Amino acid sequence: MFIGAIGCEPLQLRRVHLENSRWLDVYRRNGGYEAIKKVLDTMSPDDVINEMKKSALRGRGGAGFPTGMKWSFVPKDSPKAKYVVCNADESEPGTFKDRYLMERDPHMLIEGILIAAYALGAKTNYIYTRGEYKYLIDIMDVALDEARAAGLLGNKILGSDFSCEIYTHTGAGAYICGEETALLSSLEGMRGHPRMKPPFPAISGLYASPTVVNNVETLTAVPDIIKMGGEAYQKLGTEKSGGTKLWAVSGHVNQPGVYELPMGYDDMEKFIMEDCGGIANGKQLKAVIPGGSSVYIMRADQIIGKDVRMDYEGLVAGGSMVGSGGFIVMDETVDIFESTKNLTEFYKHESCGWCTPCREGTDWLVKIFKRIENGGGRPEDAQLLLDICDNIEGKSFCPLGDAAAWPIQSAVKRFPEDFEKHLVNNSRGESKHKGELL
Amino acid sequence: MSTELVKVTINAKDFQVPKGARLIDVCRENQFDIPSFCYYADLALQASCRMCLVRIEKMPKLQTSCTIICTDGMVVTTQSEEIEKARRSMLEFLLANHPLDCPVCDRGGECELQELTFDWGNLEERFIEQKNARAEKYLSPMVANDPQRCILCKRCTRVCDEWMGEDAIEAGNRGANTVIGTYGGWLNCSQCGNCIEVCPTGTLLDGTYRHQARPWELTQTISTCTYCSDGCQMSLGSRGDELMRIVARDRYVNGLNGEFLCIKGRFGHPFVNHEERIRTPLIRYQKGGRLVPATWDEAIRFTAQKLDGIVAARGNNSLAVVGSPRLTNEALYCLRKFAAEVVETENYAVADAFSLKPFFESLGGPLATHQDIRHAKTIVLIGGEPEELQPLTAKQIRQAVRNGGAKLILINSVPIRLREQAAQFIHIRPGTENAAALALAGNADDALAARKMGVEAAELEILRQTISETQGDVVLMFGGELSAEAQAVVAQMPYTFAGEGRRILLHPLALFNNSVGALDLDVNGKSVSDLLDAAGVSIHAMYMAGSLLPEHMPKCGLSKLDFLVVQELFETETTAFADVVFPAASFAEIDGTFTNNDGFVQRVRKSIEPVHQSKPDWLIVSELAKELGVDFGFERSASAVFREIAERIPAYADLRYPLLKDESHPLQVKHAIASKRELAKEIAGIRRAVAELSDDGVKVSETPQVGHELFKLGTLTDKVPQFHLLAAGNPTPASFAISPLYQITIDEGIKREKAVA
Amino acid sequence: MSQQPINIQRLSQPVQMPDEIATFSPKVEAEIDRHLAKYPVMRSAILPLMFIVQRERGYLDPPGVSYLAKRLNLRITDIWEVATFYSMLHLKPIGKYHIQVCKTLSCKLLGSDKITQLCVKKLGIKVGEMTADGRFSLSEVECLGSCGTAPMFQINFDYHENLTAEKVDQILESLA
Ligand SMILES: Cc1cc2nc3c(=O)[nH]c(=O)nc-3n(C[C@H](O)[C@H](O)[C@H](O)COP(=O)(O)O)c2cc1C
Ligand code: SF4
Ligand code: FES
Repeated sequence: MFIGAIGCEPLQLRRVHLENSRWLDVYRRNGGYEAIKKVLDTMSPDDVINEMKKSALRGRGGAGFPTGMKWSFVPKDSPKAKYVVCNADESEPGTFKDRYLMERDPHMLIEGILIAAYALGAKTNYIYTRGEYKYLIDIMDVALDEARAAGLLGNKILGSDFSCEIYTHTGAGAYICGEETALLSSLEGMRGHPRMKPPFPAISGLYASPTVVNNVETLTAVPDIIKMGGEAYQKLGTEKSGGTKLWAVSGHVNQPGVYELPMGYDDMEKFIMEDCGGIANGKQLKAVIPGGSSVYIMRADQIIGKDVRMDYEGLVAGGSMVGSGGFIVMDETVDIFESTKNLTEFYKHESCGWCTPCREGTDWLVKIFKRIENGGGRPEDAQLLLDICDNIEGKSFCPLGDAAAWPIQSAVKRFPEDFEKHLVNNSRGESKHKGELL
Repeated sequence: MSTELVKVTINAKDFQVPKGARLIDVCRENQFDIPSFCYYADLALQASCRMCLVRIEKMPKLQTSCTIICTDGMVVTTQSEEIEKARRSMLEFLLANHPLDCPVCDRGGECELQELTFDWGNLEERFIEQKNARAEKYLSPMVANDPQRCILCKRCTRVCDEWMGEDAIEAGNRGANTVIGTYGGWLNCSQCGNCIEVCPTGTLLDGTYRHQARPWELTQTISTCTYCSDGCQMSLGSRGDELMRIVARDRYVNGLNGEFLCIKGRFGHPFVNHEERIRTPLIRYQKGGRLVPATWDEAIRFTAQKLDGIVAARGNNSLAVVGSPRLTNEALYCLRKFAAEVVETENYAVADAFSLKPFFESLGGPLATHQDIRHAKTIVLIGGEPEELQPLTAKQIRQAVRNGGAKLILINSVPIRLREQAAQFIHIRPGTENAAALALAGNADDALAARKMGVEAAELEILRQTISETQGDVVLMFGGELSAEAQAVVAQMPYTFAGEGRRILLHPLALFNNSVGALDLDVNGKSVSDLLDAAGVSIHAMYMAGSLLPEHMPKCGLSKLDFLVVQELFETETTAFADVVFPAASFAEIDGTFTNNDGFVQRVRKSIEPVHQSKPDWLIVSELAKELGVDFGFERSASAVFREIAERIPAYADLRYPLLKDESHPLQVKHAIASKRELAKEIAGIRRAVAELSDDGVKVSETPQVGHELFKLGTLTDKVPQFHLLAAGNPTPASFAISPLYQITIDEGIKREKAVA
Repeated sequence: MSQQPINIQRLSQPVQMPDEIATFSPKVEAEIDRHLAKYPVMRSAILPLMFIVQRERGYLDPPGVSYLAKRLNLRITDIWEVATFYSMLHLKPIGKYHIQVCKTLSCKLLGSDKITQLCVKKLGIKVGEMTADGRFSLSEVECLGSCGTAPMFQINFDYHENLTAEKVDQILESLA
């Protein structure tokens, strides 16, 4: 598997290939903990937030919310404790970038959290890691112990007046706990149900205190932003979204892996065909889900020759979204009906069950998919699938409902031929209409 | 909510609404229909059913009106094609896995899901796949469960947690597999059944009434609970001569308890039609003989002759009349009138375990209503255990703390469950409750009080400080532990802690449904124990309505009487001594009133005809009076009795049955407010008593089990088979599919014919 | 009277008989203390503690559940509602080796079906079952974040990636 940067100097992935990259001394020898020193020596919390704003860094967890702005929502004068929580739940199908950041460069994350904690005045901070990543929690615990022993964590960090602690916390198998409010419920020891927004976590999050939840990749970008300055970081990417972005490539490519690209990397086709080594086994490209399972699926002809720019705006223009950067490539042999069924089963399994449309809707969708798969398809089912999705989308309690609806909506609309196969002339011969599905 | 108004536009009409108002409430108040399942006033917001979606201008998606607080200039649409589609689709989702067999469901006919389906359901069912089947089962002797009907609005779990503080029922699993249940599948809780009440579907059902009747067969009669002093309003569902069930469902009642009832109120009614009810008057013609059935005429005549004889031989005061705090005001009034005007004895008493007489004599301020408790800012509870004895009060306290941010100060020798809500728990030695009254009166005796209670003196200072710093209402409550002097001191607290922006309200935790009423009607009552002590000495005949005697009083005094008359529902330890027993009608069979802890006079209404030959207590006394030559003139009408109460008892002046007909606006009796007075004598008395207490009593450290009082078998609850199971520790049955009644035999007591079959 | 009140004394006993409560070695207790120390609110430690109980006792058995409730000062239903929400927590016995084959899209594209079939054949059990000797349980699970190294399965906490038929054979062989 490939890990590295294309089209730019490696930034986040700078140290991943170094020997013993996860140890403190390697990190320090390679520019580590300089940013926190700079912050403690020369910057006020507001300075840090300003740099973050200048960097135009957008959250890498999936929603793409500007990080500097998120930090500035935390009320400075609140007497309550404040928390930074690192979202290392990484459960979006197709996404596996945070994992390598933590595995190979845990101190970069610690430094990022320290800077965030300094900017926000947080004394206690948590890294919420999905339970399956037990080995990463062990790695992080070792790194945290190292940092503590070196005076980088705990009381009076690096001799300054700044003190703070970071703890790891384990999830236990629930995709929904990646959603920030569900994550906080889970961290409080509850079932992982999302909470009502407003109040947003920045005002009332963990233990009803001001809390910032950021993705691993977001936080690991922070030390570099501080070191090079927000502006320089922004210039690596585009005006609206600064810096570089990790793309986790999987599926039918010759060289899957974690790719660091500058934001606004110019061409998705080139990325697939050249950087990722092209489609495996000499097959043709059929479809790409570019941003984790929760985004619109793209047809090959929306990519080939279309110069799809790889950043937030570019992908929207191209008909999808950046999401979490989980880039799933499918070749011509894939039945999009089946791949969509697979994802729908995922959402059904992971729906928390709180709200009606998501709980009942995903259950029903899976039942329809299964019926169709077993030869019970009817032409009107295409419309039915779309209508159920429409009834879920925008009406669920949290965005998981939307995430379940979008893949189906786009698949039915963009790959009608794959659905037609199953819906018309089904084996039970029940079909009334012929032809047009939609 | 502030009084400031904001403007909202709903469906192009402008409204001025209080700032902070909730959109769903505002819409409904203005006749815009908003369907909902999960929204439930005064419970934590859930926003999960998604039925209440509306469009709000400038917001990207449809919004749940249950979570939206009105802001100035908000423009709302509640009716449009888009909203209609959304609502219909939510119902379609909810019905997808819901059995469509309302005719076999106990909730059919009074089901919110059914009702909303009439409005928002689709004619055509698009769901053609197999439904997720889940088996019906029992969760406890009281709670039956049909999990497939659940729509996961979680009202039940919220009620269990927020009202009851028990958290016994919860959601388990995830996604479409989510179920409401409990670890191990068996519910060990106080069995209040409120989860059943609030369930909008047929998921949680009354296990004692399962498949017994259809809601539309039942005649609903609104009445007042006969168990405790909270005075919950309830709806008695009767079919013919049988009382089938009791609910509080607010479509029938909307009283001070909303949809709340406790286990006794909800499930404690089967005594009404119980086969052991006394059927006819009974006479024991000679001491040591048997009670023999007699006709009413005969029994009345026999009693009148005997009473005449004894009074003639030994004087009027050789006869005692004893009422029960369980009886209606009407019955108690007739008894008192009987004592005063017919047999003209001074020996009249009410058999209450603790008398609030000293409290009411010194009453320095208004009684707190349950509504007041819910909105209080500070609540002080001395002694008592409302969770077990006054469950509605406990619920109000809990909500005041959890939903209203009130501070609860608990002074108790036992870490009762309300401790979880307490901001300050003053854990005292058993029997030192009176020292709390000393502490409330001032700091002079802090050292003594603290030493005897086994607490830091500073805690008492904090107690007083919290009260005197409160802005808003302070409610002072106390249980039966306080002595007469201590009651008087507490009753005067409204003067002691008077202050700007603060009301001091009082709330005695009386024990019985009509303890307060009994006191109101009791002019110069004596204590029952004195009367019992005098049995065979100066008292030779006794007339008892209700045979309830406080537990600690010896019943043997009764054997020394020449003549004992008892009005009762069942044969009891007391009727064993009786020479005449009159079959009395239960609360479900009579008209009347009870006065609760709030001082509310609430109606008791006849739901079924008196069973067998029983008669209302007041009528029995009246008939006996007539035989003795005094016609009360009430002409078989409870209303006429009450009219006389209102004329004669100042606190009840001007009340009439027609004024009492709306249970959602109960009327408070006007208890005389005593003026501020010197308490030196009382304080000195308490001080002396406290000083005599030991310094080394051991504190109770265990929180008592849920239900330790509620599940006790009394004369009435003994008649409910399920209570026997609970009293025996609610054993988990081998199968959850069958009612445990048919599976578990505790001992001879519970084994019923039916159960064996 | 046929329905005499039954022995009132029994009421002073707890309504719910206390279950047997699990005990742990001082070392494990110390580990538990370390987790509890991380949070200002005890309940937060529920998931880490559940994993420890599960590690020590094989699954969240009734004494383990009682232990958690007691240690965290929670009600037994609180433990139940949380444990049943998360897919990695087990209230029923689970094999010593829990094979969790990822079945989500990226793995599926690269043949996770075949991996499952191999396991089914090799272990002689269906997905969701446990071998009679209690050594193996087989599950299909959702995305484990190993999409770039698909197909894969996780055995207990160990990732086994880029699986081939031979590799699966080898791994299962080494555990059998
Ligand atoms: C259903 C759902 C799942 C999510 N899963 C993750 C996740 O696994 N990891 C993550 O970082 N963010 C996830 N998010 C996004 C978070 O809610 C949140 O936006 C993010 O952690 C914020 O961090 P950022 O600003 O650094 O992106 C998820 C969101 C939703 C709605
Ligand atoms: S959309 Fe609803 S059921 Fe689905 S995960 Fe979010 S809150 Fe839970
Ligand atoms: S009532 Fe608003 S979502 Fe249920």
